[in-house]
Amino acid sequence: MLELFAGGQAVTLDQVLTNREWRSAVQQQLEADFPDQVVVAVKLNIAGPIKNSPRIRQIFMAGWQVIKQAVVSDNAVIKKVHVDEQRITGPEAFLVLDGQLKKWKQELLRFEEDFALGRLFDCDVMADSAEGYQLSRRDLGLPPRRCLVCDGDAKVCAKKGRHPLTAVQASSNQLYRDYFVTDLTLPAWSRDFVVDAAVAACLQEVALAPKPGLVDPISAGAHHDMTVMTFVDSAVALRPYFEKAFELGQGFSQAEETDLLAALRPEGVKAEQAMYLATDGVNTHKGAIFTLGILIAAYGLATQDKRSTTLQEVLNFVRKISKNVLDDDLVNSNHDQQEETAGHYQYRTYQLTGVRGVVAAGLPALAQVGLPTFRDRPGTVTNRLLDTLMALAGAIQDSTLIKRANTPAIVQQMQGWVDEFFDFGGAETTAGQKYLTALNQTMIEQNLSIGGAADYLILTIFISRLSGLLS
Amino acid sequence: MEIKKTALAGTLESSDVQIMVSQGTNGLEFDLVSDVAKQFGDQIQATIEGVFADYDIQNAVIKVVDQGALDPVIKARAITVCQRALDQVDQPQWEVL
Repeated sequence: MLELFAGGQAVTLDQVLTNREWRSAVQQQLEADFPDQVVVAVKLNIAGPIKNSPRIRQIFMAGWQVIKQAVVSDNAVIKKVHVDEQRITGPEAFLVLDGQLKKWKQELLRFEEDFALGRLFDCDVMADSAEGYQLSRRDLGLPPRRCLVCDGDAKVCAKKGRHPLTAVQASSNQLYRDYFVTDLTLPAWSRDFVVDAAVAACLQEVALAPKPGLVDPISAGAHHDMTVMTFVDSAVALRPYFEKAFELGQGFSQAEETDLLAALRPEGVKAEQAMYLATDGVNTHKGAIFTLGILIAAYGLATQDKRSTTLQEVLNFVRKISKNVLDDDLVNSNHDQQEETAGHYQYRTYQLTGVRGVVAAGLPALAQVGLPTFRDRPGTVTNRLLDTLMALAGAIQDSTLIKRANTPAIVQQMQGWVDEFFDFGGAETTAGQKYLTALNQTMIEQNLSIGGAADYLILTIFISRLSGLLS
Repeated sequence: MEIKKTALAGTLESSDVQIMVSQGTNGLEFDLVSDVAKQFGDQIQATIEGVFADYDIQNAVIKVVDQGALDPVIKARAITVCQRALDQVDQPQWEVL
């Protein structure tokens, strides 16, 4: 079975027809309840008996996020929002807004045309006050929707049965792959959206439980000087820095991307001060200030033209921005022994390049481990994020972990724990949950923490939010 | 069979067809609106006529608004509208948001 349809349930014609009647009734009711507003109905066009699945929902939520942001940037007054992601006949959403019918129809037609997955969407805009029922493409003088397979008139192809269902499904699957798998598409978001995503990433990471060795709302893990509240204070204090990082990327016009890091560094120093002030001197997000700051700046740089970018483009910029960071910070560094950081110590002692090496390499575990794991693991968002954290913990050389253990040999131990966790079936299983709780105890006893994996999880959540994988 | 009451089935959603049936005296009188009427009008009409023949309805005014429905959809909507027009089923009541 094509991946897009995996985990989906087949529907009958009767269910599809009944659902249309349900939708039509909902829309009429909304129009009656809001006679002066515009009603927007959003759904997907997925041919074949399977119309909902975990990946079909990813498509829907990615587009829904774009539509919501169009509403936000228009400052439209929103009267009602209703999202039904789980319907067996396919995810659907309704919005009731102030504004002109024609304007919103054009806005959503632009979405269907411009958004990379827009061809899979079907957006209807209607108003009780308007002539007729809905404003169609034809009413606006636009050509009919194109067929997914051959670009002809979609209705004619369907009527004539020009393409076998498998061909239409393969085209839909290809759109999914192009957007989420081959590379990850990242729309050009507003500064506020990006900064919200960054703060939310920090908050979602700490809210996730049970995390082995790390601070979460249930356990402080192997950390004696902080609680979940410390992280909340810290995340909120970083907002001005995230704004600055995005603006520096958006406004950057010099030839050498390494100059962007030079501009970002003093802001990072200020952000660390803000963090220490907010946490009364505890290091909660020092790693994230470095990695997420560079990632945000790189994204800002990649979307200077206000067009969508891809993860690989952004990571290319990350590499260019941090090209000299190893030479500047580690190799040619002559810092004071007393001010030596864990990163310097580990480079001097084990030749490990730590977070600097990771950034200079373009955050490899993000695209190779974090995002694919989150995209493909089954279950609730929380459990998928726990699986993602564990997959990251097993894939990286976590400098926090090495520092706590005082030996790089701990990395193999961690990989063994992660393998055991996935052998139990991961966070979606009872055994996996028990394993995480037990591992937390073990790590508390041995004073171990996977702070590096936690930072990578923050980056994964941040990019997931930009791509629509998470909302 | 005689049409007992005016009946409606289907919606104006894309890929659907809405069929309204009322009493008539002059055979099956069609009024068809469709983006693809030129190419598929006859086919749509033939599908609906077939269902009406199955229900033995000789006289009716049939208003059809097609949004690009496929044949099985047209057939299913035609069956429903016949059953409703002949008073063989209750009209559904939809729960709304």
